Amino acid sequence: MTPRPRRGAVAAAALAALAAVAGCGERPTTHHRPGSDHRPVSGTVSTPGPAHEHGGHRTRDVPAAGAPAVRLEVRRDSESGWNVHVIAERFTFTPESVGGAALPGTGHAHLYLDGEKIARMYAPWHHLAPAAVPPGPHTLTVRLSADDHTIWSVGGKPVEASAPIEGEGGGGATAAAKADETITVRIAGGRVSPPPGRVEIAKGRRVRIEVTGDKPDTVHVHGFDIERALTPGTPAVVEFTADRTGLFEVETHDSRLVLTQLVVR
Amino acid sequence: MPYGPGGEVLAHGVGARHDLPIPAFYAFAGAFAALFVSFLGLAVLWAESRFRGREAGRALPYGVQRAADARGTRLTLRALGLLAGGFTLAAALFGPDDPDRNPAATFVYVLFWVGLVPASLLFGPVWRQVNPLRPIHLALARVTGRRADREPPRWLGYWPAALGLLAFTWLELVAPEPAASASILIWFGGYAVLHLAGALAYGPRWFDRCDAFEVYSALIGRLSPLGRRSDGRLVVRNPFDGLDSVAPAPGLVATVCVMLATTAYDGFSDAPAWVNTLQTAAIGPVATGTLGLLAAVAGVSLLYGLCIGAAGLIGGRGGNLAGFAHSLVPIAVGYLVAHYFSLLVIEGQRAFILASDPFGTGLDLFGTAGLTVDEAAVSPGVIATVQVVAIVAGHVLGVVAAHDRSVRLFPAAKAVAGQIPLFVLMVCYTLGGLTLLLAA
Repeated sequence: MTPRPRRGAVAAAALAALAAVAGCGERPTTHHRPGSDHRPVSGTVSTPGPAHEHGGHRTRDVPAAGAPAVRLEVRRDSESGWNVHVIAERFTFTPESVGGAALPGTGHAHLYLDGEKIARMYAPWHHLAPAAVPPGPHTLTVRLSADDHTIWSVGGKPVEASAPIEGEGGGGATAAAKADETITVRIAGGRVSPPPGRVEIAKGRRVRIEVTGDKPDTVHVHGFDIERALTPGTPAVVEFTADRTGLFEVETHDSRLVLTQLVVR
Repeated sequence: MPYGPGGEVLAHGVGARHDLPIPAFYAFAGAFAALFVSFLGLAVLWAESRFRGREAGRALPYGVQRAADARGTRLTLRALGLLAGGFTLAAALFGPDDPDRNPAATFVYVLFWVGLVPASLLFGPVWRQVNPLRPIHLALARVTGRRADREPPRWLGYWPAALGLLAFTWLELVAPEPAASASILIWFGGYAVLHLAGALAYGPRWFDRCDAFEVYSALIGRLSPLGRRSDGRLVVRNPFDGLDSVAPAPGLVATVCVMLATTAYDGFSDAPAWVNTLQTAAIGPVATGTLGLLAAVAGVSLLYGLCIGAAGLIGGRGGNLAGFAHSLVPIAVGYLVAHYFSLLVIEGQRAFILASDPFGTGLDLFGTAGLTVDEAAVSPGVIATVQVVAIVAGHVLGVVAAHDRSVRLFPAAKAVAGQIPLFVLMVCYTLGGLTLLLAA
C-alpha cells in the first residue's frame, strides 16, 4: 500500500546549480592597468591561435612579461560541494563588457572538469555543486578568457591552473561520505518528484536531503526542526543524524508541499 | 520543536511526530486475535441477554455520592472549566500567533480533545461538568430572562452533535491552519454562538444531546466503570451495562460513524499516496481533504447500514439501524486510543510547558517554562503494543455488546445467524484499523 521512494533518479537536476555565478566579485575598475588601455589588440601582441584547440575557444597570445597569471584553490564547503577560488594576477573580471573586444588583462574565466567546460566565472569565487563532479578522481582546470571568448595564452599555452578534485558520487559530495542515506527531491511547478514516499532509516544514521526547487522557499524537516532556504536552481542540502524515532515529514513552508516522509526506527 | 514558523499543515492540529507504522507481526497477531475472538464468541457466548443497562451497578457508599453531588464539587468543576476555557481564550487572543510558543493549540487539540477520551473512560460524561458554555448560558439566561427548560425536538436527536464533531475534526485534519490562533478563535467563536443560541431557546438540556463534546464525552463515558443507575445512585458497574444503556435516537449512528471515520481518516491522511493526492489535486488540498473526510464518513456509515440491513433480514427484524450503534462505541474508542495515545503522552507535556508563558512575555507561571518535552517517554514498541491492544480490545468489547443485543432483539433460533453480518462489519472495521496502523 505504501509506495516505496524512488531515490537517486534526480541527481542530475542538481546540475542546474552550475548556472553562472556573478555579482559579489571584484568591482570593475576605472583605472587602466599597464598595457591594458583601450587600443584594439593588434598583430604581434595577441594573435588568435588555431580554433577549437582549447575547449572550443581560440587562444590569444600575449607576451610573457605583463601577462596575466592564475592559481586555483579548491576548498570543500562545510555543507555541500566545493568553493572554487581563482586567484588571478594582472587580470580583472569584466562581466559588464563580455562579448566585446579583447582587452589585455581583462575578461572572465572558464572552468573545466577533465577538459570539459562546466562553468563560466565572472568573479574569483564559484560554488561547485556536489552533483557536478562524478565519483572518483578528476582534474579541475581554470583558464582566463578575454571578453571575446578567446583564451589568454603565453607562447601558445593557455594561462591556466589545475587542481585535483575527488567526486564522491550519488549526488552527494563531501558529506556523502558520512551520510548513510541520501534523498534527492525536485520541485517544479508545484509538483514533487519523485512523488512523496517513505524512506526507512535506522536510528542513529546520517541522513542527507537535497532539494532543488523552481521557487524561493524554505525546506523544513519536522521533528528534527531543521530549516534551509531554498533558492531556485541551487540544491538546498539538509544533513543530520536521525537520532529520534518516529515518522517525520519533510515539507516546504511557502508552497506547503510534503516532499518525503522519514521513517526512523 | 514541532511546529513550523510558517504554520504549515500539521498532523492532527499539532505535533511534528507521527507514529511509526506498526511492525507487520503486531498487525497480524492483532488480526488473528480479533478473528479468533469473533468466531469463539459466536460459538460460546450466552444465549440470553445479560446486560441490564441503567438497572445495573453496585451502589457506591452514600458519602461518596454526597461528595460527588455536593454543590461545592459542582461549582469547583464549573470554575475549573471556565478558568481553563478563559486561559485558552486569552492565550489565543493575546499570545504570540505561533503554535510553537502559544499554548492554545496544544490545549485545544491535545489536552481537551484527546484528553477527553481517557477522562471520560475513567469518570464518565465529564465534559458536562466542566463545559464552560453551561455557566455562560446560565449567566445569559439570567440577564435576558430567557429561562427556557424544554426538550429539544426529538427529530433533532444527536444530529447537531454529529455535525459538530465532523466540523471539529475538519478543523483539526483538513483546515489549512488548524493551529493558528485565528482558526481556533473563529471555530470556537462560531460554535459558542450557535450553542448558546440553542441553549437559550431550549435551556440546559440542549447541551445534553446537541453539544458535540458533551455527546462525545458521554458516549465514551458509557465504557467507564463509574455510572449513574436509573434510581439515581452513583454506581460501579460493568462497562457493558453502561454501553447497553445507550438509548437509540436519531443521529446516534451518525455520531458513532463520524467518530470512527474521522479517526480513520486521520490515520489514512498520513499515507504517502493520500499526501500525494492532496497536493496534486486540481481542486486544492482543502477541497480534496474535505471530500476525503466526507467519503470516509460515508464509507463507514454505508458499511454499517448494509450490515445492519443484512442482520435484520436474517434475524427477521429489519430496519433497526440504531439498535447496534452502541456496539460501535468501543471500536471507535479503540481507534481513538490507537491514534492519539502517543500524542497525548508526548505532546501533552508541551501543554504544561507552554502554559507557563501563555503570552510569550517571558513569564514562568508554573515554573515549567524551561522544561523540554521528553520524547522518549514511550518507546515505539510500547506505542505499537498500545495501538494493537486498543484496536483488538475495542473489537472484542464491540462483539460482546453486539452479541448480547442480538440475542435480545432476534428470536433465539435466528440470533446466531443474525449477528454474522455484525461480525463481518466489526472484522472489517478492525482489519481496516490495523491496516491503517500498518501501512498509513
